[in-house]
Amino acid sequence: MNKKVLVVDDDQDVRSFVVTVLEENQYIPLVAQDGIEGFEVIEKERPDLVILDVLMPRGSGIRLYRKLKTDENLNQIPIIMFTGIALRSFLKSQKALDEFKGGEIPMPDIYLEKPVEPEELVAAIKKKIG
Amino acid sequence: MEIKKLLFVTKFEGLCYDALNTLLMLRHAALEHVIFLNVIERDKIAMQRGSGYLKEKEVKLKETANIRFIDWAENLFEMGLEVGAYMEVSRLIPEILKVVKKESPDLIVIGRSHKGRLKQLYAGSDVTELMRRTEVPILVFKHMMEDNILPEKLFDRPLFATNWSETDKKTVEFIKGLKNVIGEIHIMHVVKESALKSPNAHEVQKISKTERKRLEDLCDELEEAGINARPHVYVGDPQKQIERAAKEYQASMIILGSSDKAAILERWVGSISKNIVDNSVFPCLLIPGKKDI
Repeated sequence: MNKKVLVVDDDQDVRSFVVTVLEENQYIPLVAQDGIEGFEVIEKERPDLVILDVLMPRGSGIRLYRKLKTDENLNQIPIIMFTGIALRSFLKSQKALDEFKGGEIPMPDIYLEKPVEPEELVAAIKKKIG
Repeated sequence: MEIKKLLFVTKFEGLCYDALNTLLMLRHAALEHVIFLNVIERDKIAMQRGSGYLKEKEVKLKETANIRFIDWAENLFEMGLEVGAYMEVSRLIPEILKVVKKESPDLIVIGRSHKGRLKQLYAGSDVTELMRRTEVPILVFKHMMEDNILPEKLFDRPLFATNWSETDKKTVEFIKGLKNVIGEIHIMHVVKESALKSPNAHEVQKISKTERKRLEDLCDELEEAGINARPHVYVGDPQKQIERAAKEYQASMIILGSSDKAAILERWVGSISKNIVDNSVFPCLLIPGKKDI
């Protein structure tokens, strides 16, 4: 059975790019354009993988990432961060939030800094869900 | 009323990271979330004779904005703040209102151009229009010096000019939410010369005493909320006296309430808040009144 992959990104061009890559590789694409909509789709569809942008309106990827990782029903869903935000800044933000809000959130499975070639994205997806 | 989420409207050339940086002290109040909005005015990429719709220019402008936003966002993310961004080709005020509806910010921050009188009038009308159409407080940034140095502690020494309107009650609640970032607030009321009908010194002193008592009561209310406050009564033209007091007490910003009635009036004769926003060298925090008044 084909696996479902959700792409959460506010940029229409990026969503189209990822959806095309997913379809070409026999995955079922799901889309959301911000963190709030992304969480709704995740709860409803339970995707096998989430490809998540960081800088978005109405709930950033950082907030959604932490929400998923602290939800015992959803924290096993692998996440590929796919963003223009540098990994260094992402790691610092997690550290700051860990200190501020308590707890320690695990790091993302894979972190891809935009732009990436389709092959790189496919390799990352295959690595997580085959 | 706390500032948890702020909407930072920028055209980059007018309101930049140094302005945003001075707002980050709001983290000590309650700030958790910053939304960036960059509006590319339609006329920049509109149809032009012989060239049509400048799609390439739109992409270039959006990408330029994106690079800046990412840079700013990285800094804010590293501080543990939540960040979001919008880049739209639109008209400024409708786009701000659209984002306000989606994001429900507690404060809108907007810059005012310092590039010549015509530009100033244009930006001033933007602020007036925004005041008329939203209940969200608006911070209008200024370039206080020719070299554009912004006050390091923007909320440290605000001057609140009250005219005892209904909106001022909302303003007081807003100020209370800033108790962790205000060092000392100066509260003033300007008695208009026309109110001093009697030439009798005793009568004038009586009015001054009454106003001072009201200001002292307000100061007590704020001190109970944990904010140091000092009362001041001035007499004369409100606009001139507010500007004068801001200079005398080295205010870091001017806080003003504005009612719907004032917003309607200013279309015809100009209101105090509009004139101060247009002409003062100080940043102005404007608290719009309820829209159902």
